[in-house]
Amino acid sequence: MRQFMRVGVTLALIAAVAATALALVNEVTAPRIAAYELQVIQNALTEVSGGFEIGETRGAPDEASVREIHTLTDPSNSISGYILQLVGTGYGGEMTIMASYTSDGAVIDARLLANAETPGLGKKAESPSYMEKFKDTGSEQSVPVKKDELEKADADSISGATVTFSGIAKTIAYGSDFVKSLGGE
Amino acid sequence: MADERKLVLTRGIVKENPVFILMLGLCPTLGVTTQVINGLGMGAAVIFVLVFSNIFVSLLKNVIPNSVRIPSYIVIIAAFVTIVEMVMHAFAPAIYKALGIFLPLIVVNCIILGRAEAFANKNSVLDSFLDAIGMGVGFLLAVTLIALIREVFGSGTITLMAIGSFDGVIEIPLLYSYPVRILSLAAGALLLMGYLKAFFEWASARKRG
Repeated sequence: MRQFMRVGVTLALIAAVAATALALVNEVTAPRIAAYELQVIQNALTEVSGGFEIGETRGAPDEASVREIHTLTDPSNSISGYILQLVGTGYGGEMTIMASYTSDGAVIDARLLANAETPGLGKKAESPSYMEKFKDTGSEQSVPVKKDELEKADADSISGATVTFSGIAKTIAYGSDFVKSLGGE
Repeated sequence: MADERKLVLTRGIVKENPVFILMLGLCPTLGVTTQVINGLGMGAAVIFVLVFSNIFVSLLKNVIPNSVRIPSYIVIIAAFVTIVEMVMHAFAPAIYKALGIFLPLIVVNCIILGRAEAFANKNSVLDSFLDAIGMGVGFLLAVTLIALIREVFGSGTITLMAIGSFDGVIEIPLLYSYPVRILSLAAGALLLMGYLKAFFEWASARKRG
């Protein structure tokens, strides 16, 4: 009996000390991490705004895959587009994508934010140049969602990470349709 | 005695290299080695965790009951991995992002549990510390070597830390336009690992005569 007590108490003590150490480190790092995450979103907003002013922020409607809506306004303060924070599914699970559209649903720019894609393959989608292939699609021309809808150089750039691509493309296409349904309001 | 200490410190680098000779920790080795900077970041994180887990396992070797030693090691290792994760997220977000899932996976990296079980729980704190440094550096060199070969031939670039106006990416003229793409994919990692293992076997067999 005493033997079991000793084993249990030792293990509990080790766990308690470890938990305390983690709590202390978390205390120091948590504010910095939160500030960094906020900065990432702010940077992405400015990057995708395409020169428009970022207007009001609206909460999510009853849509599982649209998390936040920001309006884009021109100098005369009328709505000329939207930035959506979208949620899609990639190879590593959930991905957060920020995409901006003109009011008729054409993609201005997009960024892949939080994701769990494979480093070196799907993760490459985080680079701004990855989103070039979606620009200006969505209104007259549909958003490319399959590999054979891309030009050869673009198709090569997604090889090895087709699941990531199709996840991003479908999410961006969905956002485009969503913007169209807003009708410029 | 001094010679023994020196052996403990240096054997992990070539003679008992954790990756090429002991064949430990292959999962992260193959997973993150698509860019040189990932190899360096992963290596640094493993050295940190290995040093502290070895020191603490060695310190507590007479306190931890034998029947629960593995869970105790895992708790110690997991604590340090989580610390590394939080600190990297706060202070080096770029590397944190690049390492992704492989950072938490250090918990189950066999090198760390392997050294705790095979070395630190039988030896003094100083020896365990030296062993951790040697094994950690051996791991860092191994992953960086694999990453360098894979990145140079697979994408034609060498990605290092971005400092100031230097964006951290060195492009290699001919290979950048015509990369051997398979090397940057998972299959290429396994192939390369096989060739390097064969090379190290050959080299050590030749040395033995």
